[in-house]
Amino acid sequence: MSLFATPVVALFTLSAPAYADGVSAGTLIENTATATYEDGDGPQTVDSNTVVVRVDELLDVTVTSLDSGPIGVQPGEAVLTYEVTNQGNGPEAYELTANPTVAGNDFDTTVVNIAVDTNGNGTYDPGVDEILTAPETTQVLDADEALRVFVIVTVPAGVTDGQASDVELLAEAVTGTGAPGTVFAGRGVDGGDAIVGATGADDSAVGTLIVGITSVDLTKSVSVTDPFGGTNAVPGSVATFTIIANVAGSGSVDDLVVTDAIPEGTTYVDGTLTLDSVDLTDASGDDAGEASDADGISVDLGTVAGGTVHSITFDVTVD
Amino acid sequence: MKTLKQMVAALLVFSSVAMPISAHAQGRSPVSLSGDVMAVETSVDEAGNESTQLVEPSVIVPGDRLVFGTDYANQGAEPVENFVVTNPLPSAVRLAPDADAELTVSVDGGVTWGTLGTLTVANEDGTTRTAAHADVTHVRWTIASIAPGESGRLEYPAIIR
Repeated sequence: MSLFATPVVALFTLSAPAYADGVSAGTLIENTATATYEDGDGPQTVDSNTVVVRVDELLDVTVTSLDSGPIGVQPGEAVLTYEVTNQGNGPEAYELTANPTVAGNDFDTTVVNIAVDTNGNGTYDPGVDEILTAPETTQVLDADEALRVFVIVTVPAGVTDGQASDVELLAEAVTGTGAPGTVFAGRGVDGGDAIVGATGADDSAVGTLIVGITSVDLTKSVSVTDPFGGTNAVPGSVATFTIIANVAGSGSVDDLVVTDAIPEGTTYVDGTLTLDSVDLTDASGDDAGEASDADGISVDLGTVAGGTVHSITFDVTVD
Repeated sequence: MKTLKQMVAALLVFSSVAMPISAHAQGRSPVSLSGDVMAVETSVDEAGNESTQLVEPSVIVPGDRLVFGTDYANQGAEPVENFVVTNPLPSAVRLAPDADAELTVSVDGGVTWGTLGTLTVANEDGTTRTAAHADVTHVRWTIASIAPGESGRLEYPAIIR
């Protein structure tokens, strides 16, 4: 027997994908055999009776998180994205439950709403995407149909940088859930039965939030060189200002622009603006920096990730 | 149990309707054909050994196994010759991979016949590939002669797509 076992198993494996989009619930499978033969009267034909079985409704569902990774959040509103897919073979609706208190959480969020991506753009649009009311239940999904849903939560105040929290979304077939093979008589398509599939007719997925509180710390220092080789601020002395921008935390900051005015009684030395020891022009628009005696210096650092340090320097002369 | 009764009732209805029609069309046929369908139920005993039983289909869903059977009998006084039973597969099932490899099948709606390994299927790009169990559209059995009073049974296993 063992000689035959291996090829049989292999064949089953190869044909497994055919299960993916199964025959629709309610389909009638009808089988009739026909015989032809010859007797003393010549060719004859006879049909068998037709046997009929009806395909019942398989209840299966999967939930997946559509977030590519932990979502960086701060105290306030955050949105997690999930997809609910009807893996059964008949139309079914699913009741959704969002659980913000998952074991291992550093902090717990508060669930505000569960919403459906009504306009299908993948982004939660307040006022556009339908908010489900309790008990939060999806529309009826056809076999193999997927629905994108959003869970909107509130991140509490007092969380600290780097803390993480999971939010679990559970979907349960409205017809019923249970151990695979559980039958709900007469509850399937066209009065057929519904039977719980391998998923138990429920599934859940977890999305993760991570607190990214990012701070920007600017430190300014000056060194002076006087015309006589000393460090006194006298007319003609050159003062070099250094601004250290220290971005700390696990997140990032956008549109970080560092500006500074030219102090009273001093004059900007043309062409002395640098960023991380690289010269910048005084003109605007050609690089990250611009500088003039009247408007001071401005350096656009753009989006800066936490853990990054930038250094800006410029020179002035004492009038 | 309710479902089981419904299924049995459905089988009875069809058998009582279909038989008189064919008898009427063909006159008094000396040959009877009687079809049935059973579901294959796999169970595991306490020792973990799997065994299968044929049961009346109650709840069936994609992936389940069915066995379609046809009982034939020559109830006449004369032998019948060149007895050929043709069974189109319902579109909702595919031939099970463990079907008899010597079974004569068609993958083109009954135009050409052979064992599965000898048949090919055209791909969309014009090339051909060896036919697979899921391609089978018909199965056929040929019996050279059935003596008066002789009977037998023909079966093919199928999996719901």
